[in-house]
Amino acid sequence: MSSSDAEPVLSLSDVEVHFESRSGLLDFGDETQTVRAVDGVSFDLEERDVLSLVGESGSGKTTLGKTSIGLQRPTGGSVKYRGHDIWDVRDGNSDADITWDEIRQSLQIIHQDPGSSLNPNRRLVSILSEPLQLTGADLSRGERRERIYGLLEHVGMTPASDFADRYPHELSGGEKQRVALCRALLMNPDVILADEAISALDVSLRVEMMDLMLDLQDEFDTSYVFISHDLSNARYFTQHGDGKIGVMYLGELAEIGPAEDMVNDPHHPYTNVLRWATPDLSLREAGEPPMRKIDIPDPVNPPSGCRFHTRCPEAREACRQESPPDYHHDGQRVACFREDDDHAYWDSPELTD
Amino acid sequence: MAIERTQQRDAIGASDPVIRMNDASVTYDEGESYVLDGVSLEVERGEILGIVGESGSGKSMLASAMLDAVPNPGLLSGEITYRPSDGDETDILELSQSELREMRWEDISMVFQGAMSSFNPTMKIRGHFAETLDAHDADRTAGMERARELLSDLYLDPDRVLDSYPHELSGGMTQRALIALSLVLDPDLLVMDEPTAALDLLMQRSILQLLGGLREKYDLTMVFITHDLPLVAALADRLAVMYAFKLVEIADTREMIENGGHPYTRALLNSTPNLDAPLEEMRPIDGKSPAPINLPSGCAYHPRCPLATEQCREEVPGYHEGVGGAWRGVFPPRRGDQRNSAELRRLAR
Amino acid sequence: MGGEFSFETTSSDVEVTWGERLRDFYEEFVYKPGLVAWNDRRTKIGGTILAVYVLMATVGAWLYRTPTSNQAARGLQPFEVWSAPLGSTGSGEDILAMAIHATPSMLIMIATGGVFATGVAVVIGTVAGYKGGVVDRGLTSFSDVMMSIPGLPLVMVLAVVFSPTNPALIGILITINYWAGLARAIRSQVLTLRENSYVEASRTMGASTTRILYKDIIPNLMPYVLVNFANAARYVVFTSVGLYYLGILPTSVANWGLQLNNAYKQAGALVGTGALYQLVIPMVAIMGIALALILLSQGLDRVFNPRVRTRLAGESESTAGDVDDETTASSEVMT
Repeated sequence: MSSSDAEPVLSLSDVEVHFESRSGLLDFGDETQTVRAVDGVSFDLEERDVLSLVGESGSGKTTLGKTSIGLQRPTGGSVKYRGHDIWDVRDGNSDADITWDEIRQSLQIIHQDPGSSLNPNRRLVSILSEPLQLTGADLSRGERRERIYGLLEHVGMTPASDFADRYPHELSGGEKQRVALCRALLMNPDVILADEAISALDVSLRVEMMDLMLDLQDEFDTSYVFISHDLSNARYFTQHGDGKIGVMYLGELAEIGPAEDMVNDPHHPYTNVLRWATPDLSLREAGEPPMRKIDIPDPVNPPSGCRFHTRCPEAREACRQESPPDYHHDGQRVACFREDDDHAYWDSPELTD
Repeated sequence: MAIERTQQRDAIGASDPVIRMNDASVTYDEGESYVLDGVSLEVERGEILGIVGESGSGKSMLASAMLDAVPNPGLLSGEITYRPSDGDETDILELSQSELREMRWEDISMVFQGAMSSFNPTMKIRGHFAETLDAHDADRTAGMERARELLSDLYLDPDRVLDSYPHELSGGMTQRALIALSLVLDPDLLVMDEPTAALDLLMQRSILQLLGGLREKYDLTMVFITHDLPLVAALADRLAVMYAFKLVEIADTREMIENGGHPYTRALLNSTPNLDAPLEEMRPIDGKSPAPINLPSGCAYHPRCPLATEQCREEVPGYHEGVGGAWRGVFPPRRGDQRNSAELRRLAR
Repeated sequence: MGGEFSFETTSSDVEVTWGERLRDFYEEFVYKPGLVAWNDRRTKIGGTILAVYVLMATVGAWLYRTPTSNQAARGLQPFEVWSAPLGSTGSGEDILAMAIHATPSMLIMIATGGVFATGVAVVIGTVAGYKGGVVDRGLTSFSDVMMSIPGLPLVMVLAVVFSPTNPALIGILITINYWAGLARAIRSQVLTLRENSYVEASRTMGASTTRILYKDIIPNLMPYVLVNFANAARYVVFTSVGLYYLGILPTSVANWGLQLNNAYKQAGALVGTGALYQLVIPMVAIMGIALALILLSQGLDRVFNPRVRTRLAGESESTAGDVDDETTASSEVMT
């Protein structure tokens, strides 16, 4: 599946994305507020790999996703595509033999909302011709149509000629998402960012869409970065694609590891909370939330030390003072002091507020 | 939880129903198309009933019917009776507009889908509560006290929330404030249509747990409508499944999940990824749910059902009772069919 | 960069002939918009009235005599004489001739004025709204300055200084700063449109800014643009009439405003009812075209709505399978 000798397709290193709220022309002396949406995240994505980013809203997973495909410029750290820093290429500072256009075309996106991901004033055939025209594939109009019809049929939209002439509003939500998937694939990308791509679909349609995405992954040789707030969807997608799940909290990666391990043997307390929150059919009592507070802290003022310490059921004084580094445990990377048997954490008092 | 799940009773009927629906139907185009087709069910006082279905199955219409709030030009027919704990039965469809207005929110309250835009962005939360209390001629002071208590039951800081504008609150906080608003007049029944749809997983689960607590404290009955079966399964005492505008199965939650009778229920359970099921068992449901004007003959599910027979194509099945539940299907097995119900159920997976 | 995906299709009608392309073009840009336009009563009426004016300007001006003095008996009332059906002025000019021959220049003014105002507004508003940053601030400041210069006095000054006689130039002169308010409005529309996911998708695909503006932003702006085009046209009508009435624009170009001036000053139309017809007839002409433009602007915004287009053309639709059909609010995951 993934060859570890070759250069990873995407390599993020200590990426930071900080947003400053700009003061207006007449604002005197107010401090600008910084939202640290992504604060020091690193991961690699191989060929034909799958990485799921899971977390609550405000965790920074969407920002991280967009940064990884070059739609958001990081304020710190680097994003490398096959070893080349993409922003250096963009600025013209790189001596790599790859152009920004090529990079741009290899990194594509599928959006969350099917309603606004397709131009309502264009027919499908026009929407889907766009990638073919932009990639400069020298195709005649007939050849383009052939490709479009072929792909539409493959995703189950037959008769293709009927569908191709439709406008987006004549499609159901599931069909629109499939068109968005086709549009991304027709660019022949190396990485597709699926930004909550199934969240707006009916629960019974989600598995179908995920199966389709995985099915086409092999055919098109693509990797996925799959953003989801739902752990069970992420697990389904990642496990079938043999990849990793990364749990994000307030801009940092709390834990990252293979899907089954993350679900069955979570190490970070936050991953545990996510497990508790994920609906399943075991009918266990909802019970008290395993967190000290329900509401997520304000990302403008993240807690000191380990960011989860304000809600963590296992938090202690040490967590408030220091930010834990990444500990490696089998295939997982965990940012929690509990992984270190010798740390001062075990001696410090518990937090009980 | 107060209700014993193993309590056996007539599944559709309830021993002390707070709402009784008999053959409720909503039609458009003078009976040409049904968006709710002959639904009969009873909601037991004090229970949490989960109504599950895909979009387009009629579940939202069912909720609107309970309050006689079906939008024009739909026509609601049938019998919908409300039995308050301390009063006479009233047929909801016979009420006048002003009586309906009184009933809504004071006796039966509703939290709509997409409710987060229900708040007026120019008015503080306090103003919303005050307005609601005034509209029903309720005592302001007592009402606001109750509001504060509800808000803190929902883990919100009453002072902070009451003095905020809706946009200053997060999605989860707004939803909880809305639930508090719907309970401020002490209704008997709370109907919720996808109350957690746009929220984070953690918030969804927390709200479910809070709802359970509210049910205990305030003696409420709840109807929770959603497309997400696993979500409501943890909270509901009974589940009802809707397909093609009909009620196809209603049973105790545990019964339904372990021994669901209707093939659609089983397919629904298998098509939603969840953490406990092994991956190989997950399968999407083939086909699409039918449109109101395009209903298949006989049993509406037969085009997608792996167990469909000739009889399914021709006849509309009636209710078949089982342990702890009832479902529609062409069961029991016909004479000569050696397979028993359990085997048939396994085949439907 | 070819994948191993085989794009085979079972469809046989993949090749597109020229005939088909022509027919597609006709359907898209003529038939379907026409169908939608005709379907709406407002557009039907407005379009018909406008067609009458166009006929007046072309056929009428060509066939009917030009107004000169002493072509008819002086001071005739309307419907008195067949050769001057709407009467004549104090110096014997045929009133109908005056009305008809003012139409071509008026239509030209409307056309150039409307196109200029709308065109400049679209270009400036779209670029400012889409680009943001320094470009936005610069263009917006420029429009703000233009907007704050009082319109009518500016036009009057320019008219007196340049004394334009070409109706096309007059049209542009009249709208010389009218576009600024429109540019602002278009900019805010673009700010909203820009947030749509399909715009980000196009950017991700590497489409150039021009391509995005042309294919994604402007077509979705068209209903708004058309409505404002009709409004700009009305503005040109009223302003030109006013300017001609006041005598600020040179009288060598025929205009209903001049007729009004004539009626008021020469014939004393407001004194007694004798010469009232000389005032009423140009007013009817002005109101007629204003009405046509209002109706058109109200009806035209439906033309660019793809839902209306396909519904009227009877195309098929899938049944919905979304979580939420009505609102998209709950499909966004929020904090």
